[in-house]
Amino acid sequence: MPFNSYPYLAFLIVVVLAVLLLEARLPWGKRAFLLLVSYGFYAWWRADFILLLVGSTIVNFAIGSEITRRHPVEKPTRSLLVAGLIFNLGLIALFKYAGLFVRTADGLFGLNYPVPGLFLPLAISFFTFEQISYLVDADSGKAKRYSFFDYALFVAYFPHLIAGPIVRYNDLIPQFSLKRSRQQRDEDLSLGVTLFTIGLAKKTLIADNLAPYADVVFSAAHQGVAVSSSDAWLGTLFFAFQIYFDFSAYTDMALGTSCMLGIRLPFNFNSPYKAASIIDFWRRWHVSLSTFLRDYLYFALGGNRKGPVLRYVNLLITMLLGGLWHGANWTFVIWGGLHGFYLCVNHAWRNVLDALRLKPGGTLAWLAHPASVLLTFMATTIAWVIFRAEDFSTAARMLYGLVGKGGHSSLVSFSPLAIAALVALFAIVWFAPNSMEMTWRFQPALGPPKGMAPVREIRFLRWHMTRSGAVATGFVCVAAVLALSNLSPFIYFQF
Amino acid sequence: MSAKAYLGWVLTIIALAVLALAAFNAAAEHLILDDSNGPSLQTVSGFERVLKPAWLDSIEPEIVFVGSSRMREGFDPVLVDKAFRVRSFDYGVSSITAYEARRFAEDAIAHPSVKTVVMALDAFSGTNSAQKTGPGFDDLRLKVTPEGKPTPRRALWLFTTRYLSGGAAGMHALGLYDLMQLRPGQTAADRPDLFEAYGRMTMQTMHHDLVNRNRRVFVMGRWQRGEFRTFLNDLCGRRDLRTILFFPPDNAAIIALYRKNDAAGFDAFKSAVLADVRRHNATCDGKVTLFDFMNDNAITGSPLRQGASDDYIDLVHFRPAVGVRLLRRMLGHGNADGGLGVKLTGP
Repeated sequence: MPFNSYPYLAFLIVVVLAVLLLEARLPWGKRAFLLLVSYGFYAWWRADFILLLVGSTIVNFAIGSEITRRHPVEKPTRSLLVAGLIFNLGLIALFKYAGLFVRTADGLFGLNYPVPGLFLPLAISFFTFEQISYLVDADSGKAKRYSFFDYALFVAYFPHLIAGPIVRYNDLIPQFSLKRSRQQRDEDLSLGVTLFTIGLAKKTLIADNLAPYADVVFSAAHQGVAVSSSDAWLGTLFFAFQIYFDFSAYTDMALGTSCMLGIRLPFNFNSPYKAASIIDFWRRWHVSLSTFLRDYLYFALGGNRKGPVLRYVNLLITMLLGGLWHGANWTFVIWGGLHGFYLCVNHAWRNVLDALRLKPGGTLAWLAHPASVLLTFMATTIAWVIFRAEDFSTAARMLYGLVGKGGHSSLVSFSPLAIAALVALFAIVWFAPNSMEMTWRFQPALGPPKGMAPVREIRFLRWHMTRSGAVATGFVCVAAVLALSNLSPFIYFQF
Repeated sequence: MSAKAYLGWVLTIIALAVLALAAFNAAAEHLILDDSNGPSLQTVSGFERVLKPAWLDSIEPEIVFVGSSRMREGFDPVLVDKAFRVRSFDYGVSSITAYEARRFAEDAIAHPSVKTVVMALDAFSGTNSAQKTGPGFDDLRLKVTPEGKPTPRRALWLFTTRYLSGGAAGMHALGLYDLMQLRPGQTAADRPDLFEAYGRMTMQTMHHDLVNRNRRVFVMGRWQRGEFRTFLNDLCGRRDLRTILFFPPDNAAIIALYRKNDAAGFDAFKSAVLADVRRHNATCDGKVTLFDFMNDNAITGSPLRQGASDDYIDLVHFRPAVGVRLLRRMLGHGNADGGLGVKLTGP
């Protein structure tokens, strides 16, 4: 059930009202109800895959509990962890990557094996990663013991189930039993409704209106059209903004939904186009995924503890696998690899500056920052071309177009309206505060993890509970709901 | 302000606005569907991709016209219903894509009331497959999925489209405005300023068209042909259905441009359609009739008096009176102009 649909709005109203009724009178009933509706939320898409979700939950809980029981007094638990990892990675390999691997093997070796046509279960990448983190933490003795009931709710909790944020059980499970005062409840509801509205508006009023322009250019490139420079730039920029507002919208709506239920999800999005370096970009974009990759992959590979060369190798491996996580297509791997390369260059550059003790000051620093932001934006935008393209030839046609070696297509008009839209979009992503900065006083999310970009609470445009603010929120919500004519899924739903 | 009061304000505004919207949409739909001139709104450009699937459900027509703006403006159900004593529906939408044409036709034939589908083949022209659908199109509103299965939860999607969507509100507002401008006894034909289908071509429009469509071709791309064949496959077992396809009567000046720009492509389009329809008729129970009005005939060659024409709004969009003439010919009515166009194949 997509967040940006009328059925979800009706579902949300019912769930929030029921939780309000249950939480004071029957706390366990609230948790049971949330688990039930979370499974219902998932089943709305395809009921049969509920079995996969529940089965995966049971197996992981059984392995995790056994590891926790044995740890640290009994036998080593590494074999159990390995079994759990094989189970989870096997599941995701089967459903998500089997087709890619068989197709690639067929192409490389002419095997002609039939490509499995398995349906990709929604959210498999998310609930698999969350459960891997549980097993790894259990193995390292960090996991507390929770009931199966709470664990199942942690996995299936609907606001984060489909497209994150990727949640750690220790962050979420304790919140299921927290009691709120009446005032806290009212504040949560107000904050949640406001965040949800901001997200819905970003999705229906901005992202969905950019999508057709990006789609038409990328589709044409996919069909073999040599796109012109103007089309390539407009298509690429519109996609860069589309994915920004789409993912930001999803995150706001997930966080807003959860706030209404009195539960805080992890911080996930912090104006990534304001980043002044690629390192900074990954501290702002999909923060929960970056943190997961850092903690469970990069550190597990050795991080930067084994010398500078292995550090770069580890970075590249982490980003290549992070790219593959996004989808069963080599374009995602190359996108991840490109970001890995960017990160290596960024770290090397910093090392050189540190070694030479060079740090721009005064006017130079004043100029260096916007230049760095622009360079980072351009680098990530070029990478989006590979991310968005269906295949490498599409990406190549787009990249040729970007450097002026494309054709003479005229798919998107470089009109004054397009220019005005781009100026407005740049102004928003570079200069406007984000929803977290506006509402941080009320803690809409769990704080940024260690090492991630901090949230700067702002004064200008800070969210206040005023009558004019309420009226504005109400009308923005109505405008966003009016634009819900079509069902347009979030980009990250496919991952 | 307390959090409770803030929440109260926000929710009250949303609830009132949504209620007002739903009430307006419900009332407007009722008024439009009940008005004797209401069906003429199907010729008006607006949010047709959003609302027409819902209107089709309510009207339960016997004849459905599927296609581009040529169809939308060329067949006014008010005229057709009166002339043929049927209930018809105009499923024409602006800049229709081949996929949309196939899907709207599939939607139409999935309605038990529909006995005849008439479709203009310009919907399958073009070589661009980059844009699968136009703005506002959504498969969820149609009766069947692209795979031919009933669309899950369609009633819910149609309900929200009808009563809660901004697209519906826009079309309803536009429709009500147009109907309210008609004085008692007037029809859409009396207000060409509101109902463009009843406008007349001027010298200025003609020149504009000749310049703008100067490089226009009339060819069928591979993707478009695939969609056309899928549509024919859908009809295969439908012995109960009468399907009529036709090449629309674009003005001779435009046909000359098609020929000048790509004569081979123009001929190949017609041959491909004819071959596909013949093959279909030879193997399937649900037969298809194919007409060609894109030739030298009384409509395409009708005289343009200093750019003005009784038959055209511009060089490709024919007027509703022409639509009635075409339909007479295609349905084989007694007073049909037998010399109009060519019946290429069919029962």
